[in-house]
Amino acid sequence: MTTAGIDLQHSFETALQNLGLSPGAAHALWVPLPMVLMVIAATLGVMVMTWLERKISAAAQQRIGPNMAGPHGVLIPIADGIKLLTKEDVLPSLADPVLFTLGPILVFLPVFLCYLVVPFGQNLLISNIAIGVLFLIATSSVQPIGLLMSGYGSNNKYSLLGGLRAAAQSISYELPLALSVLAVVLMSNGLDTVGIVEQQSGLGILSWNVWRQPIGFVIFLISALAETERIPFDLPEAEEELVAGYHTEYSGIKFALFYLGSYANLLLASLIAAVLYLGGWSFVVPVETIAAWIGIPLDNPFLQIAAAALGIVMTMVKAFIFVFLAILLRWTVPRVRIDQLLDLGWKFLLPVSFVNLLLTAALKLAFPSFFGG
Amino acid sequence: MTFLKRVGEYVSDAFKAAKYIGQGMGVVFDHMNRRPVTVQYPFEKLIPSERFRGRIHFEFDKCIACEICVRVCPIDLPVVDWVYNTELKKKELYSYSIDFGVCIFCANCVEFCPTNCLSVTEDYELATYDRHELNYHQVALGRLPSKVTEDPMVTPLREFAYLPKGVIDPHDLPAGSQRAGKRPEEILAEMKAAKAAEETEEKVAKAAADT
Repeated sequence: MTTAGIDLQHSFETALQNLGLSPGAAHALWVPLPMVLMVIAATLGVMVMTWLERKISAAAQQRIGPNMAGPHGVLIPIADGIKLLTKEDVLPSLADPVLFTLGPILVFLPVFLCYLVVPFGQNLLISNIAIGVLFLIATSSVQPIGLLMSGYGSNNKYSLLGGLRAAAQSISYELPLALSVLAVVLMSNGLDTVGIVEQQSGLGILSWNVWRQPIGFVIFLISALAETERIPFDLPEAEEELVAGYHTEYSGIKFALFYLGSYANLLLASLIAAVLYLGGWSFVVPVETIAAWIGIPLDNPFLQIAAAALGIVMTMVKAFIFVFLAILLRWTVPRVRIDQLLDLGWKFLLPVSFVNLLLTAALKLAFPSFFGG
Repeated sequence: MTFLKRVGEYVSDAFKAAKYIGQGMGVVFDHMNRRPVTVQYPFEKLIPSERFRGRIHFEFDKCIACEICVRVCPIDLPVVDWVYNTELKKKELYSYSIDFGVCIFCANCVEFCPTNCLSVTEDYELATYDRHELNYHQVALGRLPSKVTEDPMVTPLREFAYLPKGVIDPHDLPAGSQRAGKRPEEILAEMKAAKAAEETEEKVAKAAADT
């Protein structure tokens, strides 16, 4: 990376080397640090989201929501976690033990793998791989296999139906999702997430991709909602029809994996929406412009720390706007039928996203300065 | 042309759908800054209406063991244990019990009791760990009911129909505020006045007819 941002890795390793460690040992100590940090951050994000989900749902229904566990019920996620971890881990009779155990792990792992490429700042991401967006889409398509596994392995008709629905839904909404992302990729001439954000950060809020990709943005939101199985599209776990879909037979730690996975997936989708369409970590006004106004040089360490903190806060704020929208939508729209779901996916979103892609390509050829040359 | 028309209709349909979802979300969003309508139960309780039919109260000394309550009960629930005292030539009541695990709280017994020894209370918190504890004998039936308004631990809240006109929040009502409409006493007084006026009118008319 360029030396524009703070190089945490370098300072951490030199600090350890000054303590007398070899460069190899210092690097080995550094490597797991960001990953552990990311997993902790994602888990914390999920906890905040479950609390928000309860509180916002309560507010939408004119209730109070959790208010006994800690101030305003903030300890509810911890109580949830302890409850799930101390519950008995049931294996249903005649269930396939291997598939039954592997299913939740395969649902859970890809989501956390995807956090590898989510940037919170210029250098604040675990690995800036050149194929970031492709990696996201490819990794998240492992999920339906896990869902099918858990649905099939449970030895339960509702689980099987839920698993099949989940697979059908995930596969049919991956196409419009990928196509809408492709339009963004086309504009930024690259698949790396940092590049996509940088391409949007020139003029602050005016250069965000929402203005250039309004159709793609809407398609992305709808498909992301379907991919994360949120309420208008929560057919795989439709409790009125399928008990709880593919997690009917799960309890204890395996159910906790599903629960964590689904919320982490929503947070991931929101973060990606923020990165792809709302300028990621960039503020409404570019930080460089603000620095120029106040008259602070860009290489001022305090400015850099403030900018990094602002970047993290901006990314989270943008992501949580989507989380809020998803919860609001949950209490607004009813669940669609399976035929309506596939109808919307194949007959509406897919053609529209194709048109969007073609339109973007054409506009890019016509106005290269506006749509990325 | 027809193809273009169909595409146009399709697009306008999509926009309409998006508009309606947006309107719905607006309604849901509007609900978020309204005050919660829930009653925070162990700390707040609704004041039961005056027609509330809760646990039955029984006065042992008033009972004449006539068993009317058993006859009018839809499930013949009250157990009246009496023996005919030949010296006094009277029924002597030994024990009386009602099982509130079976009672449907219709209060027919209260309605028909000739000596008014039965009455309904506003007690509704009858939960027990064992259903047999719900079988109240005469001593348990004779206990005085607790009142929500007299419990220092509880914030009593008025029910929706007992709030002043236009008010929907039972919290922090001004002192002395009355519910919408006339109170039963006022209606009774009005009816009495109307009847008296009618009678005087009739008298006047009769007097006029006589002369």
